[in-house]
This record gives sequence, structure tokens and C-alpha cells, in this order.
Amino acid sequence: MGFFVDIVGRVRSLVNERETEENPFKPPTQPLYAPTDPAIMVKIFFPAATGDTLLVAADQTIFKSAEVGNRARQILQKLQEGPQVDTLLPPLPKDTKVQDIFISEQGTAFIDFSNAIATGHPGGVLNELATIYSIVDSLTYNLPEIKQVKILVGGVEKETLAGHCLLLLPLEMDLSITNVMPREEKIATLPRSASALASSLKE
Amino acid sequence: MFLVPLVANSPCLVRVIEFFYPMRVTRIAGLLAALGAALFIFGGLIRAADANFPIYFPGSKLLVKAETFNREIYLPLKEILESMGVPYTDALALETLTIRSGNARLVVTKNSALMSYNDQIVLLPSPVLREESRWLVPIEFLTMALTRLTGTEFRYRPGTSRIFAENVDAPELEMNAQTLGPITRLTIRCGVPLNLDLKRDNQRAVLAIDRSPLDPVRERVDHRDRLLRSVVFDDSDGEAKLVLEITRDVSDIRVTPADNNRIFFVDLRKGEPVTEAPPLVETPAPAARPDVIPPVERKVRVVVIDPGHGGMDTGAKGATVAEKDITLILARRLRTALQMRLGTTVLLTRDSDIALDNEARSAVANNNQANLFISLHTGYSLNKLDASSYVFVMKENFGEASTTSAPAGARDPLFLPWYLGYRTHRQASMAAANILQEELSKAIQGSTFAVRTAPLAVLSSATMPAMLLELGNLNNLANAQTMLDGGYQTRLINIVADAVQRFSESPQAAAN
Repeated sequence: MGFFVDIVGRVRSLVNERETEENPFKPPTQPLYAPTDPAIMVKIFFPAATGDTLLVAADQTIFKSAEVGNRARQILQKLQEGPQVDTLLPPLPKDTKVQDIFISEQGTAFIDFSNAIATGHPGGVLNELATIYSIVDSLTYNLPEIKQVKILVGGVEKETLAGHCLLLLPLEMDLSITNVMPREEKIATLPRSASALASSLKE
Repeated sequence: MFLVPLVANSPCLVRVIEFFYPMRVTRIAGLLAALGAALFIFGGLIRAADANFPIYFPGSKLLVKAETFNREIYLPLKEILESMGVPYTDALALETLTIRSGNARLVVTKNSALMSYNDQIVLLPSPVLREESRWLVPIEFLTMALTRLTGTEFRYRPGTSRIFAENVDAPELEMNAQTLGPITRLTIRCGVPLNLDLKRDNQRAVLAIDRSPLDPVRERVDHRDRLLRSVVFDDSDGEAKLVLEITRDVSDIRVTPADNNRIFFVDLRKGEPVTEAPPLVETPAPAARPDVIPPVERKVRVVVIDPGHGGMDTGAKGATVAEKDITLILARRLRTALQMRLGTTVLLTRDSDIALDNEARSAVANNNQANLFISLHTGYSLNKLDASSYVFVMKENFGEASTTSAPAGARDPLFLPWYLGYRTHRQASMAAANILQEELSKAIQGSTFAVRTAPLAVLSSATMPAMLLELGNLNNLANAQTMLDGGYQTRLINIVADAVQRFSESPQAAAN
């Protein structure tokens, strides 16, 4: 009998330890934006419930905080909150948390999600694709500083979320699966760079 | 009995010792000595019988003696180089062989699997050997090194004993044997007209074929009955022929050509020599036989089917069923359908409920030289009414931005990151996916089976036409029930088999 009590006690302590291990110390929550920051419109990409278009953009407002990381955090917060209309689906599993964000000089955003994004993911190739590209497109479309996104799970590199889409390489924006056209200024830069290339070739 | 304490903890050995216990010690010692001698002889370099190995060049052929060491086939390098006219230097003291062609230089070293190609190190699957003055290279050396050096392409299928160089024309030869009542019939099919010459001595019949480079789909026919022991394709002397091992019962062998000498029926008969008169199955009309369809060139020989998920990884979960179980059922049924209808070799990445990572799945296809890779999955949508299915191929240009090392113009870079393996066959993958989409959307209502692209882990390193079929929505109760229905599965499997057959006959299905 005492043996069983001991075992139960051990298991309980293991479970408890796990809970605390998830977040050993909470950093003081800093505000993601200052009261003086202006509001900006962003397009948040959500999975569409029906139709051939995988992701549909919804216009929402965030505040233009000084740090890009904080703007990214706000966008991810909007994704976590989910869509406000019935025709769109929540992109992330419930309880998914953003643990950390790091943006490299080359414009790669490393987003570290809690394990829930993988363990709570229901699966399905298209569903997984929607989760990943709602994150990638929402960040890269609204924040030109971010060129590509690398998704980490529970602080480490993971091959896939639920067995399908490769996460080992950083992913770039893909608007072909959305209802949004690429931004005009990005198109405008193309001929300029092409002409610059041509002139440099002439020299 | 000194052995007992040493091995007592191994239960199987204990049983062996119990078995030997009644024997006298001397006898055991004798057995051990014999075992030791056997190990001494066979334990080192396992060397199998040497066989002739033809290499067919356009307009000429070279017969070399192949030798097998440690289950790897080795070819004499110098003979091949001399016949190709490639200069080389054999440095006795350095134990290296340097081969030059134009500005390119290749150095191989004795007993080393590393070779230097233009000062880059390339790893061979087995070491290069040197015996007396002969240099022996593993067969992969031809494709990995000699092709790069000289530009001569070599085609070699593992398990066969011939090599085709450059674009030498080698029509496929198919053989099939069956017992038809009193006779045994061997059916030989080829894409081009042939002439067969039959020679028989007692228990061997040799069918000499007048056309020399032939590419048999199978090296031998495994059919054994009262009249026939085996049929083997043999071109070890550079001349193609079929060797039939027959039994004493065979009294008459008759060769009947059909379809302008593209098909031959070789009928073995039993009993007293039948003269021409009795009307015993007088060359049955080929059109009446269901399996005599005009031979079409089929390029898909090996199909690998990947049942998604497995083991701990259940995949998507429906109310009553998990993705891993549906995919395994469908994969097994598809294997049977493809084997029966197309006669292709079909392999599954898993044939039980085990977990497997994505790299291991594509490795099954890569290691077996598959011509087509199909991964089966079921879908899951948060929308409970949705029941769409999709055909996925690898996302175009995926990962190319991350590989800055390969120069833009390099046609055939020496090393390819594993996740770029999909690249060479992406167009063929797209063609296969389009065929599958067409066939499925024609026959199954309720979904368009749209072709989509995604950066899929399981397809990224597959070096053959590869696609992923995602079926339905497990979150949709009715749809999940449909997928478990046997009739629906049969229909689905038949359509997929149709699509594989269509792809196999399409020009995109290039044999790799």
C-alpha cells in the first residue's frame, strides 16, 4: 500500500514539475506598444472554411511599435485570437503560445511556438499548410523587414508540425494560395533593379 | 565443458549446449574446429564466382569479367578505359590510377572508396581494389565518375548483369510462363521484331535471339511445373539468348511467332511426339487471349507506395478511425491492384503499424530505384462539411534560395542537398499529378481533386516522380464512413491504378 502511495506521489510530482518547467520564470510582461504609437492596418491571413483559396486576408489594426519584434508579436496575437467571421477558421491550435521571437539581420524571423502548436494540431496536409502559411504570410506581407520565417517548436527545430510540411528551412511569402495580390511597391522595385542590372552590364 | 559459464546467460546457446551435452568433448572440439575453419575461409573477403559482364556501346560491345567481392560487383577498369580510348596513368609506387579526359582529372587510390575528381573528393559506395596489375572498381564507379569525366552515360539496373552505354538502343524483352493444361507456354514479347532459333539438347533448350542488346524486364522467370524448371535470360557472351531448363517429359517444343515477330509463344508439350496432324490447340488466335495486348512501352517498373503516418503518429483522427489505419488499408489494396494489372513491382514503405520518419519513407523509394512514389494521406478540415481531396506535389523552387553554393548554370552539380532531391523530376511529378487528378475527378463525385503544391517533407528528397494523395476529411463523419467502405475503396484503387498505367505510358515517365 505504502508502495503505491509512493508511486502515485512520484507521478504527481513529475506532472507538477512538468507544469512548472514549461515556463520556469515569467519575464515581466512588457507592453507591446506605447500609447503614442500610431495605429496601422494589417492583413491577417486566416484559413478559409470553403473554396479553392486556402488563405483569406482580414483587415485588422495593430500599433506601430518601434521594435519590429513587437509588431510581429501583435500580428501573431491576432492570429491566436482567431478570425471574427464564420467564413474563416482559426489558424492555430488552441493554447498555442509564442514563446520567443528573434529577427536576424538577414531578415529571417525565428518564431518559437510552444509545443501545443504541434501536439494540438489536428493534422491533414492542407490544414497544416494553412497553419504554416497563415503565420508566414501574415508576417512577411505586413512587415517588409521580415523576408522569411523559420518556425521553431518548443525552442527547437522540428521537421514538421504534424508530419507533412518541412520546417527545416525558412519559408518565404507565398501569396498564390491567398486572395491577396503582391504589394505594388514590390513589383515596382523589380523593373528598377532590372534596369540597374542592365546599366551595370553596359558598363 | 569450460564453455558453459561463458555462454550460460544466452538462452539459445544454453539450449544448444543441452543438445550437445550427450556428445563427447572431443566431438564438440571437432565441431568447433570445423566451424573455425569455415569462418577462416569465408570470413575474410567473400568472393563469388566470376561472370561475364557485357557493356553495350552504340555499334560495339565489350565483354569484361565481373568479380564479386563482399556482395559488390566489380569491373576491371583498365579494360573499359582502353576500349573507350580514355588515357590513364597507373602509378605503381603511389598505388593510384589517374584518368584524364580533356581538362578533367580523376584519381583513384587502391583500397579507398574516396576518389578525387578535379580535386573534389567523391565517395564511392565501396572501395576501389587493385589485384596484381588489375584495377577493379564497383559498378557505381561508371555512373558516378566515368560519366562525369567523359560525358558517356551508363545505364545499369541493379540485379542485372549488363550495362548500356550512351543511347544504345536496347528494346525491352518481357517473358512470362504459364501452365495451360497439357502444355506449358512461355510468352516472349518485345517492342521490335525478333527471330528466335531453337536448339535443344536433352534437358536444356536454348533460344538464340538474333538481336543483341536487349533489356529484359526480368532476368529469369520463376515458373516451375512438370515440364519447365526455369527460364533464364543470358547474354554473358554478348549474344542474347534464353536458356530453358526443361524436364525429361518434354517431347516437343514449338515456337510460334505472332504480331509480326514481336510476340513468340514457346509451347512445351508432353507425351509422344505429336505430329503436325492432330488438331491440338493449333496456334490459338492471339486476339482471343486476354493477355496478348499490343505491347506498349512501360516505363514504370517499380512503384513505392507510402501509407502516411503509423505507430505513435496516428495522423489525423476521426470519430471512429485514425488516418494511419485508412492509409495502410488503401496502400495494401493499391499494391495488389498494381501488381495484378500492371505487373509492376510494388513496395510499401511500411506494411504494419509502425512509425517511420519522412526521410526513411523517401529513402525506400530512392534505394529501390522506384519510377513512381505515391504517398497516401487522409485530410482533416475544421469545417465539418468539407469533403475535398487533393493531389499534392512538391512546391516549385522550394529550398533553392537556401542553396547558394551551387552555381546558377551548373547542370549537374556534384552534390545536391537532400531536400532538393525532388527537383530533377518535378515536371514529371506534376504530369503524374495532373493525370491522377483527371482520372479521379472524372470518376468520383464530390471533389475536384485539385492539384496543389506544398513544401512536403516526404516528397522533398524523393528522386523520382512523386506525389501525395490527400483523401477527404476525417472530421466529416459521413466522409470518414465513405472512406472505410469497401466498394468505395475498390473504385478509388482502380482509378489510381488507371492513372498509374496512363502515366506509365506517357512520355513524362522517363525510366530512371
